[in-house]
Formats: sequence, C-alpha cells, structure tokens
Amino acid sequence: MSAQVITALLLGAAVLVGWARLLLWQRTAGDLGARPWRLVALLLLQPVVALLLYFALFPPALPVAGGTLTVATQGSARFASAGKGAHLVALPEAPDVARAEALPDLATALRRYPDTRRLVILGQGLVARDRDAARGRAIDYTSPPSRPGLIALAKPDRVAPGGTFAIGGQVAGLPKAQVELLDPAGRVTDAAAVDGDGRFSLTGTARAAGTAEFTLRLRRADGGLVEQAVLPLRIEGDAAPRLLILAGAPGPEVKYLRRWATDAGYAVTVNMSAGGGIALGDAPVAINAASLRRYDLLVADDRAWTGLGGARGAVLDAVRGGMGLLLRGSGPADGALRGQWRALGFDLSGGNGVAPIALPASLAADRARTRAGIGSADIPADLNIGDDLLPEATRMDGVPTGRDAVPLVQDAAGTPLAAWRALGAGRVAVWTGLDSFGLVLSGRGDLYGDWWSRMMAAVVRPIAGSMPAFSGPAWVSERISLCGLKPGARVDDAPLAIDPATGDCAAWWPDRAGWHQLRRTDGSSAAFYIYPANALPALRTAQMRQAMTLLQGTDQKTDFATAARAFPGPSWPWLLGWLIASALLWWFERSRIGRMAIPQT
Amino acid sequence: MSADALLSTWLRPSRQRVRLDTLLLGLPGLLLATTLVWRLAGLVPAAILLLLCSALLSGLIVRRARRFDQAWLVRRLDARRADLEDSSALLFADPQALGPLQRLQRSRLDQRLGQGMPEELAPDWSRRMIIALWAVALLGIATLLLWPRGSDKPVVLAPAAEGIAAKPGIPRLVAQNLRIIPPAYTGLSLRDEAKLDARAPLGTRLEWTFRFDPQANAPALLPLGGAGVALRRDGEHWIASRTLDASFLYRVDPASGRGPLPPLHRIDGVVDAPPQVKLIAPAASLNMVAPGQRSWTPVFAATDDYGVAATARLRITLAIGEGENIRFTEREIAVSGTGAARDRRFAPRLDFGALGFSAGGDMVVQIIVRDNRVPAPQEVRGPSVILRWPAVKAPESGGLQGMVNTTLPAYFRSQRQIIIDAEALLKRKRNLSTDKYLSQSNGIGNDQKILRGRYSQFLGGESEGEPSLPTADADGHGEGDGHDHGPPVATPNVFGEKEDVLAEFGHPHDESPASSLDPETRAILKQAVDEMWQSEMQLKQGRPDLALPFAYKALRFIKEVQQATRIFLSRVGPELPPIDPARRMTGKREGIAGNFEPLVAVEGDDGPAAAAWRGLAQGQMPLDALEGWARANAARLPDPLALSGAIDAARRDPGCASCRDKLRAQLWMAMERPQGGVARRRPADAAGARYLGAIGGRP
Repeated sequence: MSAQVITALLLGAAVLVGWARLLLWQRTAGDLGARPWRLVALLLLQPVVALLLYFALFPPALPVAGGTLTVATQGSARFASAGKGAHLVALPEAPDVARAEALPDLATALRRYPDTRRLVILGQGLVARDRDAARGRAIDYTSPPSRPGLIALAKPDRVAPGGTFAIGGQVAGLPKAQVELLDPAGRVTDAAAVDGDGRFSLTGTARAAGTAEFTLRLRRADGGLVEQAVLPLRIEGDAAPRLLILAGAPGPEVKYLRRWATDAGYAVTVNMSAGGGIALGDAPVAINAASLRRYDLLVADDRAWTGLGGARGAVLDAVRGGMGLLLRGSGPADGALRGQWRALGFDLSGGNGVAPIALPASLAADRARTRAGIGSADIPADLNIGDDLLPEATRMDGVPTGRDAVPLVQDAAGTPLAAWRALGAGRVAVWTGLDSFGLVLSGRGDLYGDWWSRMMAAVVRPIAGSMPAFSGPAWVSERISLCGLKPGARVDDAPLAIDPATGDCAAWWPDRAGWHQLRRTDGSSAAFYIYPANALPALRTAQMRQAMTLLQGTDQKTDFATAARAFPGPSWPWLLGWLIASALLWWFERSRIGRMAIPQT
Repeated sequence: MSADALLSTWLRPSRQRVRLDTLLLGLPGLLLATTLVWRLAGLVPAAILLLLCSALLSGLIVRRARRFDQAWLVRRLDARRADLEDSSALLFADPQALGPLQRLQRSRLDQRLGQGMPEELAPDWSRRMIIALWAVALLGIATLLLWPRGSDKPVVLAPAAEGIAAKPGIPRLVAQNLRIIPPAYTGLSLRDEAKLDARAPLGTRLEWTFRFDPQANAPALLPLGGAGVALRRDGEHWIASRTLDASFLYRVDPASGRGPLPPLHRIDGVVDAPPQVKLIAPAASLNMVAPGQRSWTPVFAATDDYGVAATARLRITLAIGEGENIRFTEREIAVSGTGAARDRRFAPRLDFGALGFSAGGDMVVQIIVRDNRVPAPQEVRGPSVILRWPAVKAPESGGLQGMVNTTLPAYFRSQRQIIIDAEALLKRKRNLSTDKYLSQSNGIGNDQKILRGRYSQFLGGESEGEPSLPTADADGHGEGDGHDHGPPVATPNVFGEKEDVLAEFGHPHDESPASSLDPETRAILKQAVDEMWQSEMQLKQGRPDLALPFAYKALRFIKEVQQATRIFLSRVGPELPPIDPARRMTGKREGIAGNFEPLVAVEGDDGPAAAAWRGLAQGQMPLDALEGWARANAARLPDPLALSGAIDAARRDPGCASCRDKLRAQLWMAMERPQGGVARRRPADAAGARYLGAIGGRP
C-alpha cells in the first residue's frame, strides 16, 4: 500500500468523521435556527479541504513539453554551444566549457531541466554513472574520431599457477603495429605484429599463486611507443582434480601421462589391461555411478572405452553430472574409434593414417628464459633452452569436428588436435595425438604439459570457488558494479551497500589505482585491478562509444513513453487552496451567516 | 826492485783506470735496464736484475783488468818510452839468465825507468763513449721515471650520490672515485668510475677513494655477507683497495652504523671466457685424401675475449692398419698462429711423409689452444678432424658380405648425376650432330641401366649381368668429355664407405641386401626402378627430354627410400626373467601383474620467494626468510646479487614503493614455474545448468 493510498484513506476517514460530527452536533444542538444550505455548505467544504490537502501532498502530474539539453562530457570542445533555446550543462569530466552550467551528474541536470526529452551529447560520451539517467531519452551522439591505440583487450579471469596464458586484443588506426608482452620483471616475453584487422595474440607463463602485473606495450610499425598498460593477472589454482586413467594396454603414452599428471598435482589412478584378464596399475576401479562420483576426470583410450561395455552408460551419466571425459586413441583411427567418437558427437575427418604434428619452433633463448622459472638441482633452467631440435610426434590423420564441438589444442600449422563439447553439466573431449610422450623425452616437456593441462582444464569437473569481482577493465573514480554479493561484503575493509533493486549488486567508486580486494561473506576473496584514469585511453573511448551506441539503440523503443512522460506539478497552489479553504471552513463554521437569531434563552 | 814489485807499481794505475773506465761504460746501461724493469715489472725483478748485471759487470771489469799484464806492460813501455830502447822486456827477465850485454842494458834501463811515471802508461779514458752512454742512459732513465704511469693519474673525486640527508655531526660520503686497474694480460687500460657500481674483469684491482664530511673516524667498506675492507687515511681522503675475485655488493658506511644505512653498490666481475675454436678448413670433419696429395693443411680459428696464446698444440693421432691390426700413434706438436691476438689462425702443414701417414690410415688432428689468462691459462680443445686415406685394396671377401652392406645413399648422387648429364646434353643439343647426340644420350642411358641394375639387386633378382659401379666410365664418355663423375673410386665396395654406418656400428640381421629392406621401402624402391626403366628407355632412344620426368620421379622415390631406410642395431635386450617351467602352460595368472609402484610428485621449493611475492603485493615484508632462501639457493638464481641488493634496498626503506617493485621484479625471476596447477571452471548457475541440461539430455 503506497503512501498515496494511505493518505487518501486517512483523509477519506477524516472527511467521514467530520461529517458525522457535523450531523451529530446538528441533532444534539437542536434547532438553532440554522438554514439548511449552511449545513450543506459545511458538509461540502469538508471533502474539498481533504482533497486540496491530498493534492498539496501529492500534486498531480503535469505533462512536460519537449526540450533539448546539451551535455558536455569529457573531450568536448571548450567553446561548445547549445542549440537555440537549449540548455548547456557540463558534467564533471568535461573541460571548462564556456557558458555552461557545471553539474555533478546527468540526473541532477535532468531534475533541473525536467522538460528535457532530447539529449545532445558532446564529447566522448556519458560515463557509467550517467547512463542510467539518460535511459529513455532521445540521444544525439556522434562519436568523436577514434584515436589510434588499443581498442580491445581480452585476458583470462585467472591463470593456474605455472600455467600458460594467452592475451588477445585489437589495435585500431595503427597498421603493422607491434605488440609486446613484458613479464613482471620487465623482460619481453612475447612480441607480435598485429594482423590486417589489428588483432593480436600473445602468450606468457605464470608462476606462483598471487597477483602479477604484466605489461602490454604497443609500438608503431617504426618502433615508436604508442601506449603501455599494465595487464593485471590473478594467478590462482583450484583443488587438485582426481584423475582416472583407463588404458586398454600399457604404453608409453599412459606412463608419461601418469608421470606428468602426478607432478602437476592431480590425484591419479591408473587402470590398465594387459589382456587375458590381467589388470595392471592401481587397485581396479569398478565403473559405476558411485565410483565415478569420486573422480573429476576420466581419460580413456579407445580400447578401454570398448572394454567398458555397459559401463559406458554410467560414465556418460557421470559426465552429464559434471565429470570430464577425455578420449584418446591407442593408434591410428579405425572404424571402431570413429563410431565411438560419433556416438559422442565428434566426427573425425580425414583418413585412417597417421600424420605428423607440426610442432612450434623452439623459442629464442632470451624469450625461453622468460617463460621458464628457475631451475632446480635436477633440472637446470637452461637445459633445453636454445635447443632447436624438434622431436617427432604424430596424430591421427584427421580433424575432430562436430556440430557444437570447440577446437581445443592446435599445432603450429593450425590443425586442431583436440575438441570438446558439452554433455549435460560435464564435457567430453577427444584427442587425436598418438605419441605425445615423445615431447617429454626430447626436451619439449613444456609443450606436453601445456597441451595436456589445457585439455584437462577444459573438461575437468567444475568446482565452486572464487569468482572474479567483475569483468572488463575499470578506471579510477569510475563507478563499477560488483555483483553476486551478500550483505556484509567489503572492498578493502570498506563495507558495500547492496542495491535493493538488484538484490546482490553494489556500486563502488574506486579512489586509487592498483589492486583491491573484494571479500565476500563466505570468506572467499577476489583481487581486482583498477587502472589509473589515463591508462588505456583508446580502449576506454571504445568502450564508451559502445555503451553510447547501446543507449542510442534503446531510446527508439521508449520514444512513446517519453512523449507521455509526466512530471509532478508544483504543490504550493494546492497548499494555498487548502489553507484558504480551511480558513474559510473555520471562519464559516464560526460565523453567523445563515443562522437565525440566536435564541435568547 | 824485484820484477813483481815493478810490475805492480807500473800496472796499478792502468788497471785502475781501465776498471773505472769499464765501470763508467757499463753503469749507464745497467741503470737504464734496471729502471726499465722496475717500471714495467716492479721492484723485485729490478733488484734481481741489478744484482745479476752487477755481477756481470764485475766479471767484465776483472776480465778487462786482467788484460793488463806483463806482456802488455812491456809492449806499452816499448811503445811509449823511446829511452827504454825497446828493451823493457829485460826489466822483467831473470837477472841470472841474462848475458853481460843484457845486464848492462838492464842497468841502464833501471836508471831511465825512474824518469817516467807509471800513470803515463795508463790507457786513455773512453771519453766520448762514456759521455754518450751516460747521456743516453740519463735521458732514458729520466723519461722512464717521468713517463706518466696509469696508476699515478691524479684521482679526481666525483660527487657522491648516496641519497642520504645530511645530519649534523654524522659523517657523510660527499665525494668518491673508483679506480679500476684491470689485470695486465687483458690489455685494458685503467679507468676511473665516478659511480660506485662497476663491471670489470675478474682479477682487477679496485681502488676506492672517498671523502667524508665531516671527517669520519672509522669509515668502513662493507661487502654484503663478507668481511669489511679497511680504509686507510691519506690526508683528506680515505682509500681502500681490493682485488675483484667475485661479484659482490657493498656499501660505504662513513659513520660506523650511527647514521642511516647507505645504499648498496654493485661490482660485477666479468669472467674471462675460454677461447673459442672453430674449424675453418676443411668444411667437413671427415675428409678423404685426394690422389697425389702429399700434405694437408687444416685451418683452425681461435678467438678469445682478451687474447689467444701465440702457440698452440696440435694433437695428431694416426691409426694405421686394417681390420684388427690397427696401430695408434699419438703425438703433439707445437704450432704457431698468425693474426691478431684476439683472433688467431692456426694452419699447420702436416707432411704425410714426416708423420708416417700412408694409405689405409686415418689421421685425426685436434688443436689445443690456450688463452693468456695470467694465473692459469684456459685450455680449450678444438674439434677433431679426420683425414682418411683409403686403402689401395678394399677388404672384400665372401664372408664379409653379410656384415659389410653397401648402403643406399651412395647412389643417390648418381641418379642426380644422370639428370644433370641429361640436362646438360639437352642444352648442348644444338651444337651437336645428331649421331653424337644420340650416342651421348645412349651413354647416359647406359648409366641409367647400370644404376637400375644396382637397385634391382636390392629388390632381389632382376639384376642383369654383373652389377658394376654406376659411375664407372661407360661407353661414350671418359675423362675430360665434359661431364665428370668426380675422381674414380678404387673399388665398388669402398664407394659409400662414408655413409656405411651399419657396417661400422652394427650388423644386419639378415643375409642379403634385398631382405634387409622393409616392405614399405621395397615398394618405393620398386617404383623407383620402374621409373628408371622408363628413363633408360627414353635415353637409349635419344630422347633425354622425355627421360627427364622419369628420372626426376626416380630421384624422388630414392629420396623417400633414403628417409625410410632404417638401420637396425643390435640392442641390449630386455633382461627377461627366466621362465618358470612349473608354471608354464598351466594357465595360472595369479601374481603375474606384480608391484605397481606409486609415483611421488616432484617437489618445487620456491616457498619463501612465492610468499614474498604475495606478501609484497599486500604490503607485508617477509624478508628474513627470503634472504636466507636467496643465500641458500644462489646457484639456482639468475642474478643472486641483484636479488640481495633489492632485498636490502626494500629493507632499508620500507616505505619506498619503487624499491618494492624492483624487489618484486627480481622475485619474479627467482621463482620456479610450478609444473601444474589447474584453474577449473566454475559450476554453471541455475539458468546455465538448466540450459546445459536441456541441450545435454538431462532436465
């Protein structure tokens, strides 16, 4: 029940009480010689007063006439002028615009000029703070010419400790620009030239858990520095997955996979068949729903998969419940393997032969040094650095495809070696490599680990854990919204106020650049990075332009609503009327008008 | 007066004169040499030289004085004193042996002798020589003494930049100089550093000069983690010196700990790199003796950062003999190099006759080069080069057929040679008469035939007639006909000896060449032979242009064979357990899949570094554990000194953000890269789970 209804009810009740009192008084007072019209006038004035009071409290809305408001934002010209009859306001980001009214935000401006129906935005556009206020109004916005620089940047939310990560992005206005990725020690760890569309992809490696600031450097084709920005990364791992390896026969591939997975922190169980009912490996695992719940990932070769027989259904059920399944081949593809894969939604193109895997060339020594950590007594750091000998590795002569299959690992020639697809809550992947163990034996253990960890991380059972605070870059003193929160969440020990409209989001205005900690009530915390106001200017402009385009897109639909928009009228005339009416009522009740002579008894 | 007394009286002035004269002549040279040695090598060698030369000079003096004996005196008196009438010998003669006339003459001489003085007989001073020598010597000595010496260069102090605020009463470093005197063998000149950080070769002498304000009482130079170096006062300045034997960090503490801790400085010692030896000629490491060759000159180049010793040693190993009867002789000869000290060439000429190298032998040479590092030169062995002189008669016997298997690669060049010949023939077609063109084409066709026959042999059978070497001169061409197949090779079996790895290191498990090929290789080889057939047919019909495509195909197939050819080596087989006869054929399988050892994951241990990395991000400074860890793991770190310096800087000024950033940068380089770690995806939320369930078959 809104305040208006309650007030109306109260006033109605007051009128009824007033009437009852009048009538009772009239009866108990006896005939005092009052004329009937006097009673009628008094009775009528009661609802009039109540009605006037109601409108004084809740003045009726007035329809607003169309108006244009010119808003100067960041990057607008200093001598911008509003159109004829339009008002010019300057938001805090705007420079010192002549003859403009400086206002703290757009909502204030709209309150001040309520008849605004059209906004003319000068400069780069509205910041996040003002976008909600502008929603629903017609917007005239011409994006300023874009400045050359980095306009898109994609990075992983978090990187596993020691993991390899890729950074992608796009550069505009700089053909043949060079992009460099510097590690936190300031060494160039990867560099690439942008392609025809300005896109690039760079690779780096993480170390121990924590936060790390890589640096992205953008250079012109002639080597001149254009911009340089911090690339914040959150390095954080999850609980070690439990891995079950099933193999139809013992072999080097299983041996090295077990070794690698054990070193990489997986809890590995291996079951191999040696034929004739002989099982090798750890204690045999019965494949059923209960036992599979204990595993996060199942790696099986085609022979083991065939040997599972009826238990395959249990495995697929487990996959639908979240477990990962990774199928590999024990040899070149044959009809049986194709059938198995097809049943899982993968088509293997190509023939039944074997093809070599195009291995990426070894890195130059200085780059390789930035990718590897320090050595240990067993494995010196420069053991394989500068060794350009490429081992031989083979794969099935075909590419795994599927309607909804996602290619996963590609060799140097761009041939996908693996693909995954979702099956219920879990994922299934296939791997066409046949003798990847050769990589370990010939000093390319880094590549082996990279491939297998990518495949396993893609399909392994998901696990609840820390979530990123928000996505996308954020800048100092620009509002960011943090979502998925419960009351009691804090940023850097400052409590956050949850917005009741959303239920689990809170706004936060960062006041300093750098890392901040979001602590959730469940004890998890997520670090996030805030850029200085002048960092990544082209990206910021590009994002703003995108947001403005979205805003412009929404205003078409709400144009009618805008036309019918009303604005609460002034309450003072009603208040005055109520005052006059009340005074009249008071006076009239006391006055002798309409009464006979007072009986002199 | 007796003869002896007379002699000594008359000889003494002369002898003294000549002694003095020799001394005056010898002394300038002696002094000059001593000064020179003193300047160049120091005081001790100069003193030794002085003693030696003095002894030499004394010997010379004695020797020269000895020449003034009785005979000289007699000659001298006769020459100088006319009044002695050429009879002065009588003065020293035995009076008893004289005749009467002689006695008379002698008595006359005795009287006359007194009229002259013995000094008159003395030889003249060698005045000019003395003056000239002394002038030269004095000039030389003066030059040597006054020549500006490096270490005498005046020290110019540069203002210090320690970044420490002045506090009244506490000494502060205000000016400094670091003099770097590299070891003499490097040939680098002395230099002054204005800063306190420097890079210098190991063995360099470092001399610091400091000035403090106010004057310090007991300043110290404190290397990090080492004993302090004492400073000695020299007027206003304080001086310290030390030999650079390893890179170190240090700080200059003027106030013995009373003031703020000064920043660290770094001295990097550059290790003298060992020389690099390269083989310039010949290009390959295995070379064959050319016919008629009598000597061999391999050329090595040796480079070093400071200089290669002018002489190197060449180790020559001769292996002479065949089969099991091989004798090895090894010797080392000295060779001298040419060229600049940093890049020397060694090109010894090895004469076969002098070394005893003959046919059927191998000569292996290896150069051993030293650099000129002073305490101990670094020795480096260069690559070995082999010169092979094939035996005149190759070992061939029926019994060796299975062991010595001529491998395929030797014949590839021949197929290529046929292509080259055919192409050359096509080019010359216009200049040739039809007959000649036909006959040459036929000749190439014959080559092709022989080659095909050889390959057919590998396929077992199909060979036609006696297989002969494909490059053997067939009809129609010979020496000097414009297309040479290279020098004739002694026997077919030696051909391809270079690639005969199988015979050298292993043995085939079969009898005939044909069966040593796997089916795949055989199939390819078959195709190659088929193409050769076609090529041969066209060549013999005088159409080399039509033959070429087939020849190219054949070559491609042969290349495939080359890549497909496997050489089977006898391996050390698996040590299989003995068969248990009691169990055999029973079908019992219990216990045959035995112990399956659990794996233990490798442990990484960059604990303190990773902890410090995380701690620094959050504003903590867990530096003590890190410092201990860095010291213990210095050998694993790329730059332990920089890490220590960064730790020290961060500890000295906990509020310094840039110091912490630097320390974090160092820590990034000092961390292991964990081998694994999984960033698992997060479970889908309710809507996502519904969606996945809908597409995946579970509601």
